[in-house]
Parts: sequence; structure tokens; C-alpha cells
Amino acid sequence: MTGIISALVEAWQELRINKTRILLALVGVALSVAALTSVVGLGNLAREGFKASSEQNGGRAATLGIGVFGPTPPDQQKLEEAYQGVIDRYGITYYSHSDQAQHSFQSPYGVQQVNLQLVDPGYGVIHRLDVRQGGWFAADDENRLAPALVVSEGFYNAAGRPNLTTNPKVQLLGTQETTAVIIGVVPDQFPQAPPSAFMLTGAADRADISSGGFSQFKLWVGDDQAEALKLAITSDLQRQFPGMQVQVDRMDYASYGDPFATVQLAVGGIAGLVLLLGAVGMLNISMVTVRYRVREIGIRRSFGATSQRIFLGVMMESVVATAVAGIVGVMISVAVVKNPWIQAHIAPGLKEYPGFPVEAAILGLGSAVLVGALAGAIPALVAVRIKVIDAIRF
Amino acid sequence: MEELVALKGVTRTVVLPDDQELHILRGVDLAVHSGDHTAVVGRSGCGKSTLLNLLGLLDVPTSGELNFQGTPVQQLNGGARARLRGEAVGFVFQQFNLLPGRSALDNVITPLLYARGTQFWRRREIAMDILDRVGLAHRAQTLPNMLSGGEQQRVAIARALVRRPRLILADEPTGALDVDTGQAVMALLDTVATESGAALITITHDVNVASLARACYRLETGVLSVTDVPMGVSA
Repeated sequence: MTGIISALVEAWQELRINKTRILLALVGVALSVAALTSVVGLGNLAREGFKASSEQNGGRAATLGIGVFGPTPPDQQKLEEAYQGVIDRYGITYYSHSDQAQHSFQSPYGVQQVNLQLVDPGYGVIHRLDVRQGGWFAADDENRLAPALVVSEGFYNAAGRPNLTTNPKVQLLGTQETTAVIIGVVPDQFPQAPPSAFMLTGAADRADISSGGFSQFKLWVGDDQAEALKLAITSDLQRQFPGMQVQVDRMDYASYGDPFATVQLAVGGIAGLVLLLGAVGMLNISMVTVRYRVREIGIRRSFGATSQRIFLGVMMESVVATAVAGIVGVMISVAVVKNPWIQAHIAPGLKEYPGFPVEAAILGLGSAVLVGALAGAIPALVAVRIKVIDAIRF
Repeated sequence: MEELVALKGVTRTVVLPDDQELHILRGVDLAVHSGDHTAVVGRSGCGKSTLLNLLGLLDVPTSGELNFQGTPVQQLNGGARARLRGEAVGFVFQQFNLLPGRSALDNVITPLLYARGTQFWRRREIAMDILDRVGLAHRAQTLPNMLSGGEQQRVAIARALVRRPRLILADEPTGALDVDTGQAVMALLDTVATESGAALITITHDVNVASLARACYRLETGVLSVTDVPMGVSA
């Protein structure tokens, strides 16, 4: 134990004395560690951003979308009973209809079109919707006399950005005029998106708002159960709706694999190559240094340093140096990954950014130490082979 | 007094690149006890440094017996010899051999980096004490190139003594110093060695230095013999 600590003390002393020379050798190592760590950190951030926007579009992993199609639409009541059967049989907690309806509403600036999405309360959980103001639907919102609406930012702007605590009303136009109440606001899916709003399916039925065609039923199930449930539900519904086409598909992003894996691997590979070049530079400097330190090594041997200790000392110098460079590299990487401007550009969909990934820091620091050990081992072997008697008189 | 080092019929031979053998030491007998102050004199190339390397456990004899504190050195491996050397031997070199770029204090600390236990953990305190003993406590943070020759050799002496060795080996300790400074350094070396009870072996071709020893040997063409009067030794 004392041996390792004293080797570290000796290594630190050596670095302190030769700081300028070693600093130059370590610039490359620090930068490549920063690159390697940043690739992992930014990849993680981009993945989180992509996950957030993908979950808002396709649902969490794993979301199954069920559709029953045929030459004529299936009997709606029978279909609802079949969906309820699936929910009960497989113990599904979060589920939702997902129907689209085009409608218009009266805004202070005139009549505007709105894309209405008819859903159940479970939709907010399945799609991890980020309600910026107000709140999402509760189960009893279906019983309101005036249907509740969760509107997009575009709709909210068109409605004059009313105060939600005053239960602001909007007039939905059509064959039957309906007064609806805005209870929440979600961000637009993309800049300048046209107004859209969510309404509960039951409330839409009572307001005589029907879907414009494509209708889907969504379930949030465990990732590991998705494939088995897909087959079971398809089989169940096929039996109940003979002659019709039953589609049960995964809707979530995770079913397509990791879209960042290839890019991250490529950039990580380049960073690894840069790290290797840094290691070669470090090795070069260490080899020259050992030649320059022949007498010093001889003197140390004369004072009782064993060959193992000389090996450890020379290697530790490299390891301590690259570990310091690694820490600097990781700090640069943290500064890059946690930069608000970069965060906003890499993951625009995220409300809360994830912390700096520990695995990225460990990877960066670990790579630096490994490079140090490899670049230090060869000069350390050379140092051990130096003959003490010759070295003292060098 | 306790026998510290004993050489019996020691030879050291090296094989030259042309496969010829060069006999550097021939049948050397020597016994050094604790507290002895011994001088070995001889011309350049007579084998003085080789003898010093054997005494300092930096090398092993080709034949003969070399016992250090009763242990046959040939039976020790490199690591064990290095540990024994660190614990029991202190070197003072002609060219001081201070480590460049490190303060006097850091130089004196160096041997303690290879020690264990209290000596390692209290290294700074121990090194300051010994620097104080050689009168250089006020120069502890000074770099070697800012010290005079005499001061550098005093730092080297402090470094040699810092682990309280049983044997101090001084290789031409005054070779790089003027006469007055050399005498002062030798007086200091003799004093600290006597105080600590260590044996001091000085290898020199300076008669004045050799005359300070209580026993004197002459090394000539690899053969060691006792000489009563070191006068007349020349390089």
C-alpha cells in the first residue's frame, strides 16, 4: 500500500517539475477525452430529446395501436366491447382511443380550423404529454356539461391566451354549436403548427363530434410483453371480427431500434482514434524522458528503489498525467454537454435536461487511464532495463 | 564491534565484447565493522568503483563470499538487495548527483519514498531534521543549481544519511570541491557517521581525505592490501 502511495507521490512530484513538457503532451489526450466523453454525453442528450418527441408522437415503449378494418366499418358498440375485453383480459392500465376530427372554432380574430384529437385520459400518460399550463383530463371530465379541451399553444394564442383559472370558454362551430372549456395547454408539435386540441371521446360523442375516419385504440404495455400481446390480441379480435382485417402494431420509437447508435459509434470511433494518437504522442514524450532520466533512475536505484518500484513509478507518471488530462477532458465535456445553447439545439423537445451521464465520465476517465498505462508501460520497461552502475555514471 | 560487511576472496570479472575476460577485482578480503572509518585509495581504473558497487549491493561478486550483516549477498535476489540497500546503505557521490529541478528538501526526501511505515509518512519532518543537522535547514527550498558545491555535497550527505544507514559509501566525496570546502565536508561526514554509529568507507585518491580514516587500504590492479600511510597516493 505504502509502495503505491509513494509511487503516486513520486509521480506527482515528477509531473510538477516537468509540467510544461507534460502539459503539451497532454493537450491531445485531454481533447480526445473531451471529444469521446462529449460524444457519449451529447448522444445521450439527443437520444433523450428524440425519445421525448417520439413518445409524444408514437407513445412510450411499448405502445400498441389496434385497428379493425373492413369493406364496411365494424359495429362501433361491438368494437368498444372488444376493446374493453382486451383491457380486462390483459390487465391494461393505460389505454386510449385516438381519433381525428376536423372542426372549427370562434376565435377573437374570426373562425379558425382546429384539428381535434379525440382521446381518453390514458393518452396523456401514454404519450408523456407535457402540459405547460392547467392540467390534463381527469376521468370525470367526461361528465362536464361543457366539454373540456386541452389545447395546443397555437390554439391558445388564437383564443387570445385567456387566463385558465377563469375557466375560459370557446365556441366550437358545426352542425351543433358546442361551448367548450380550456383546461390545459400543451406545446405545439412544431413551430407555426396549426391550432389543435384534445377532447375526451365520451364528451365528443355527446357533443356529436365524430371522427373523420381513421380510428385507433392504443395500449401501453410492458416492453417485454409487447410481441406476445400483439399476437394474442390479434388472434382475439380476429375471432370476434371474422372477415375483417385486424392490425395490432407497435407505434413507439423503440420498435425501430436506436437511431443514434450508428452515428454515435462512428463519432466515438473517430474520438478513439484521436485518443490513440494522443497516446502515441504521450509514449513518444515518455520514451525521450526516460532516456533523459537515466542518471536519475540510477540514483533512485542506489537509494533502494526496486526494479518493480521503478516500473511502477515511471508508469504511474504516465497514468497520473493522463488521469489529470482525463479529468480536464471530462470537465470540458461537461461544460459542452451542459451548455444551455447546445442543449436547446440538440434536444429542443426536452423540458428538463438529463444530468451529465456518469457512464460518459467513467468512459472518458477510464480511457485516459488506460492510455496512460499503455503509454507508460513501454518506457517503464526501458527504465527497468537500465543498469544501475552505468546509470549513476551516465 | 559488530561485523557489517565481510568480503572473502571476492573476485569480479567482466567479459569484454571480444570475449576476453577482464579481472577487475582479484581475491579481495575486507571486513568492515560498525563505526569504522575506512579509506580505499588507488589509481583511476584500479577497481575502486567496482569495489564500491559490491559494497553497496549494486553488483554481486563473480566468485568469493560477500556477507552483509551476516547475510550472503549472492543468495538475495535483485529486489531483496535493493530493499537492503535502501535500509542499510547511504551513497555520497563525487558529482553530488542531486536530482535537478527538485529542492534540497525534495532531494533529501527521495530515499524516504522507498521506505515504509513511519519513515515514509513522516518523511518531510525527518528530512528537515537531517538538513538542520548539516546546517542547511534555511536552504531547504533552494534548487541544487542555486547551491554552492559545498552546500550541494552537504545536501547529498543529508540524503545519504536520511534513512539512518549502517554503512555510508562515499565515492570521491571531495573530488568536485576545493581543498577547504572538501575538508569541511569530510569533517561533517566523519562527525555525522560517528554520531549515528554507521561505518564510513571513503573511496578516494586524495591523501588528505584518506588520512582522516582510521583504516586505509590500497587497491592496485584489483588486489586490495592494507596500507598504514596513505601518503603518496596519486591519481
